[in-house]
Amino acid sequence: MGLAMTGLGLVVFVVFHMLGNLQLFEGPHALNGYAAFLRDMPIVLWAVRIGLLSMAALHIGLALQLSMRNRRARPVEYTIHRYRQASIASRTMAISGMVLLLFVGFHLLHLTAGVIDPGFADRRDPAGYRDVYGKVVHAFQNPFMVVLYLAGQLGLGLHLSHAIASSVQTMGFEHAALNRLLKAFGPVIGLIVVLGNVAIVLAVFFGIVR
Amino acid sequence: MKFTLNIWRQNGPHERGRFITYEAQDVSPGMSFLEMLDGVNQRLLGNGEEPVAFEQDCREGICGSCSLVINGIPHGPDQGITTCQLYMRRFSDGAFITIEPWRAKAFPILKDLVVDRSALDRIMQAGGYISVNTGGAVDGNVILIGKDQAETAMDAASCIGCGACVAACKNASAMLFVAAKVSHLATLPQGRPERARRVSAMLEAMDREGFGSCGNQYECEAVCPKNISTRFIANLNHEYLRAGIVESSLPSEPESPHAESS
Repeated sequence: MGLAMTGLGLVVFVVFHMLGNLQLFEGPHALNGYAAFLRDMPIVLWAVRIGLLSMAALHIGLALQLSMRNRRARPVEYTIHRYRQASIASRTMAISGMVLLLFVGFHLLHLTAGVIDPGFADRRDPAGYRDVYGKVVHAFQNPFMVVLYLAGQLGLGLHLSHAIASSVQTMGFEHAALNRLLKAFGPVIGLIVVLGNVAIVLAVFFGIVR
Repeated sequence: MKFTLNIWRQNGPHERGRFITYEAQDVSPGMSFLEMLDGVNQRLLGNGEEPVAFEQDCREGICGSCSLVINGIPHGPDQGITTCQLYMRRFSDGAFITIEPWRAKAFPILKDLVVDRSALDRIMQAGGYISVNTGGAVDGNVILIGKDQAETAMDAASCIGCGACVAACKNASAMLFVAAKVSHLATLPQGRPERARRVSAMLEAMDREGFGSCGNQYECEAVCPKNISTRFIANLNHEYLRAGIVESSLPSEPESPHAESS
């Protein structure tokens, strides 16, 4: 239950994060203005950041605790075990989760803290805002970064495609007529988030946004 | 038909088990899987060897006794049936078949392919009942319910408690079993009064027995001989949340109605 609730909280974040990022397509003014708007409210910004970090920590802690308990529930493994209908995503939650953790760590050091590739950390645009747009465009002209970010998005997509529908089930939402819709809900949201983010990376890489 | 069987043999709960290979000969395609094993055992007995222990009773798919993992799938390759309803024509001649017991901490192996499933009984004792006064049976149709309610309750009640859901689950979780029992009773008026207490007690009992948790992979549903839907697991979660809210606002309930009165 805790795993589902912290997970859903993080899903809400990635959805809004993707929507905010899409302002890249509106040009430097929109994106840099949006970034400045967020930084203008330091209390809200830090409350959200601390909330997200503790939610992520709790999510990882609960996942570890559960999987250790689940491992104890079957001390002797089957010699042959065949899955009948479990999705690839549901079987690789631990792997996609770890990919995500590594990716989020890298992403925070890269575009948030500016520790990796610090060239753009303090550059300003003509309006006096921090040049987030320039930083993003610079980053994704580098094929190495593009590969890393696409791998991160693959992890995110896999994780979400099982996670959202699974959380809905764990929270006890069930309806005879709506079940198929609820099941489709997860992969669809996951796909939208991933496509939105990948669009940004590829648009920069292929020079559509410069 | 001829088959090569790779069967798990284990003398007792604390002994080390191992696979032993047997040949099954002169098998008719119309034989059930258990009849095929009967043939193997007959031959073993003839040779003065110990027959393979496996559980069985009704041999018509309603008792929930048979419990074999066949080539990695509980109750074998067909869906919606028990091991006893699986026929040898389903396998190709000369096939190599691996047979294992249910594997879970909560289901300790007693001998060979027989496991102790009394953990499920203890979950039932914790809350899988309704409390009614003894006396003459109540007339049918005294409490009228809708057709959809009756159908839903019946779908859940078709669980035969074989434990294939536990066997198939990556986490050896008994959620589908508990979900079926809780949903069955929570859907009917007779089960409503103890609804909140039941779901909490049964889930606590499940945890006590050492079953794992639900990862929503739905492998349980795919092997369930009664095709019980995992929507009952969502319903179980719903009941549990509801119980958390209801119980917190109720005065503490009396002890179990079945406790001895002093």
